[in-house]
Amino acid sequence: MKRIPSLWIAAASALIALGTVDAARRPRYGGELRVEMRAALRTLDPSVNDTDAAQLVPAVFETLVRFDEKGDPQPGLAISWSHDAARKRWVFAARPNIILHNGAPWSPHGGVIEVPDDQPLPKILQEMARSSNAIVVHGEDGSLIGTGPFRISHWEAEKSATLAAYDGYWAGRPFLDAIEIRMGRSLRDQELDLESGKTDVAEILVTDARRLRQKGVRVSSTPLIETLALVFENPAVPETTREALALSIDRATINNVLLQKQGEPSAALLPHWLSGYSFLFPASRNIARSKQLAAGSPTLAFAYDRQDPILTAIGERIAVNASEAGITLRSAAGTIDVRLVRLPIVSRDPWTALEDLAGRLKFPLPVSDLFEAEKALLSGYRVIPLVHLPEMWAVSGVVRNWPRLADVWLDPLGSKERP
Amino acid sequence: MTFRTKLLVITSLSAAGAVALATGAVAVSTRRAFERIDQARREALLDQFRRELDARGEELSRRVDQVASSAAIEQIISGTAEYDRAQAEARAQSLDFLDVVRSDLTIVSSAHWPAKFGYKNDWKISPEDWRPEDWRETRFFLARIPTPEGNAVALVAVRVAAGGEALVAGGRKLNPELLKSLGIAPGMRALLWLAPDDLIDAQGAVSHAEKLAPLIAQVKKSGLRSTATVQWSTGRSGAEAFLAIPLLERNQLMGVLLAGTSLEEQFRLETAILWIGILVGGSGVVIGILLGWWTTERVTRPVERLAAGARAVAAGDWSARVEVLSHDEIGELAQAFNQMTGHLVEQRDRAIQAERVAAWRELARRLAHELKNPLFPLQITIENLQRARERSAAEFDEVFREGTTTLLAELSNLKTIVGRFSDFAKMPPPEFERVDANDIVRNVMKLYDARLHAEGRPQISLELELAEGELPLAADGDQLRRALGNLVLNAMDAMPDGGTLRIATGKIDNGVRISIADTGQGLTPEECERLFTPYYTTKHYGTGLGLAIVQSVVSDHHGKISVVSAPGHGSTFMIELPPQQGENI
Repeated sequence: MKRIPSLWIAAASALIALGTVDAARRPRYGGELRVEMRAALRTLDPSVNDTDAAQLVPAVFETLVRFDEKGDPQPGLAISWSHDAARKRWVFAARPNIILHNGAPWSPHGGVIEVPDDQPLPKILQEMARSSNAIVVHGEDGSLIGTGPFRISHWEAEKSATLAAYDGYWAGRPFLDAIEIRMGRSLRDQELDLESGKTDVAEILVTDARRLRQKGVRVSSTPLIETLALVFENPAVPETTREALALSIDRATINNVLLQKQGEPSAALLPHWLSGYSFLFPASRNIARSKQLAAGSPTLAFAYDRQDPILTAIGERIAVNASEAGITLRSAAGTIDVRLVRLPIVSRDPWTALEDLAGRLKFPLPVSDLFEAEKALLSGYRVIPLVHLPEMWAVSGVVRNWPRLADVWLDPLGSKERP
Repeated sequence: MTFRTKLLVITSLSAAGAVALATGAVAVSTRRAFERIDQARREALLDQFRRELDARGEELSRRVDQVASSAAIEQIISGTAEYDRAQAEARAQSLDFLDVVRSDLTIVSSAHWPAKFGYKNDWKISPEDWRPEDWRETRFFLARIPTPEGNAVALVAVRVAAGGEALVAGGRKLNPELLKSLGIAPGMRALLWLAPDDLIDAQGAVSHAEKLAPLIAQVKKSGLRSTATVQWSTGRSGAEAFLAIPLLERNQLMGVLLAGTSLEEQFRLETAILWIGILVGGSGVVIGILLGWWTTERVTRPVERLAAGARAVAAGDWSARVEVLSHDEIGELAQAFNQMTGHLVEQRDRAIQAERVAAWRELARRLAHELKNPLFPLQITIENLQRARERSAAEFDEVFREGTTTLLAELSNLKTIVGRFSDFAKMPPPEFERVDANDIVRNVMKLYDARLHAEGRPQISLELELAEGELPLAADGDQLRRALGNLVLNAMDAMPDGGTLRIATGKIDNGVRISIADTGQGLTPEECERLFTPYYTTKHYGTGLGLAIVQSVVSDHHGKISVVSAPGHGSTFMIELPPQQGENI
């Protein structure tokens, strides 16, 4: 199961309510945050573009530009950008007095970074804001050196890592002294470790949120930053069959029962909070029409990640829904007709997010307005969005401002709270 | 095959056949006994299966009762529990299947198919199939349960829960454990075919299940018990007999219990019986041969003596006698043989005697006939001379001259006749020498050439067809020429109006053939048969000794003579003589 990297920043902004509570207390410096995760990372190098690693990348490496919670570009390591005299290149002025984690100054040639003016400015800014384009300096010993609020003080690939607070951070030292990360931990182990006080942050499934809350565990959630969808990989599947399958799915029951109302049923790729129009794509079930369309449909080879309990539960339910309409979904390896997948919403910018989704689906994105572009992507039922989901963690009582790592601080008073 | 061999074979086969029959009877009896035992064991297995099913049904009912009475059902029905809560309850009670359904049969939580919530339960537990009060009793039944992997047959119990708002339907698969618990007798095993297409035994899935498919299909079709023998591997030891028993639930086939019995033990016993039979049969054959030999010795030796006596009689030894050694049938046969040969000798002697008398009579008749003809002119001539003597001297002289001439002629005739008989009587043994058959023929034709072409004689044309080269023979040339001359004369006599005389020589496998053919009036079959009898003739004159002499000569030369003739088609005499026999020359 893939994490959604760049939304850590966006997620942090969504925790305003939690932050408000946290703000009632004065943040304090010090302490070590213990975090566990299922992913076993080989490297934190942003250029590898590992979506699992990208969760931690912004804490160590920074980009020239970043997007705020409203989706507007804000200066990062670049403080401004403008055309050159010939209006053929964009010139990004580097933030002055930036010191790398190894103590060396970060000084691009001439104090500027030039980018060809081959795309509209918003696209260039989106590119500059991607984690994969973060500034990284490779040390002689192969170490990765950045400019972010934390530096890598210990790295054991696929097992553990320690990010130490960087005192020379240009925006000010983070509250935490360090973040200790344990990798490759199962959800069950993470929950047990949280209960026994061995970790401060544990990943959870959205389906576990209600149970954990009932147990008194603090649950932290992002906005809806993930779309679960059916994607037809075999173009030979008739459109009528695809439409029949789309109409057979009971999204409301999936969300209400399987996801315990933690998601949002939708037939749109982008969640409503991002696009504002998702209700225009009808998500209701029409089993009668589905049965009509499904007449003579072939058996479809159906696949999903069986290690993912949410995909498994939803996949089984979809198979039951489809069966009711007369469509047989057969679990299979090899050539797959239709696959149930998680599609991350990687940006608060809807265009960027939709463009990324189109890229992941390998669909061409027409140059049009946002609604028409999404409508074009959804035409022909090659992809059938089902539900949008948030990302969730269980956090101990001492943790404040999770998941924005640069702002996280540990409240000793919170230790009396149940994890 | 000799009588002795036949007797030995019959004795041996009888012994072996008796043993084979006994072996077969024992084998059949053994097989039937096995079948009876097998049938009883299968019935016991079926009873045991039913008892085990009942016990498991009781146990299942108890577990479903516990689920139905648990607080979890209230939570599930009220919606406060997770949709897959039934899984935990099923695990706690070791149930393979568990559906918690509302009274309208809508699934609220399903253990084995969590995604099925909201759909109707289709285990055949609807009111149309059962009365609601049935669920308050301890009842269980077989049902076909849909799962994500397909249908599975299970033992199912249903209970009312949550104050009548819900039904709890729990089930357990019919699995190898069920078969393992049956305590099956050695050599037997139980298999279970479950709809739609699972075949298990106590160890799990059965390989080569396709071999049982025809039997299962038969039971599925008829809904009745059926039997079949399945050959798992080559040889009878790889065979297994199956009784297939349908498992029906409200007239629906849920599965088939297959009680299999290995035929290996039966095969071993039958093989042992067969080997014992072979050993006993073999011993019987050996003993039969010994007894047969001893018996045939007693039976066949007198028969062989009889056969030897018969062969001696056939060879001409009519005095042969057989020793009578016993007083049984064989002894009587020997006595009869001796009596027969005695009678034969007596009859032969009488026949010889009669033949001699007949020969003398024939000779006397022939002599009388031959002599009577010249004697009558002699008597007349002498009487004329006597009468002439009483008349004038001149007349006497004339009569005397004529008379003496006639007398001399007739006396000459008499001399000739006597000479012929004398010649036949004095036929000397042949003096063999190397001769050429072609030369002999040419010499004969030179002798008779003048006669053939005598003036006033009807035209007889001669055709000589002599083989090329020499035809050497060991023969008495004079006798052979004489014999051929007789045949040539006979041929000429047979053609009073002329014709063709054809003489041919040739090599045959056994020597030389000489044929003399005429185109005369031919002979009847009766004449052909008597032709070589002495003194028999078809001519108005002649002694009947010509062909007898020919046959005598040919016989003395170890050859044979034959005639082919038909009235009006001439006659052909063929003489076949053996080749030159150097050592005999």
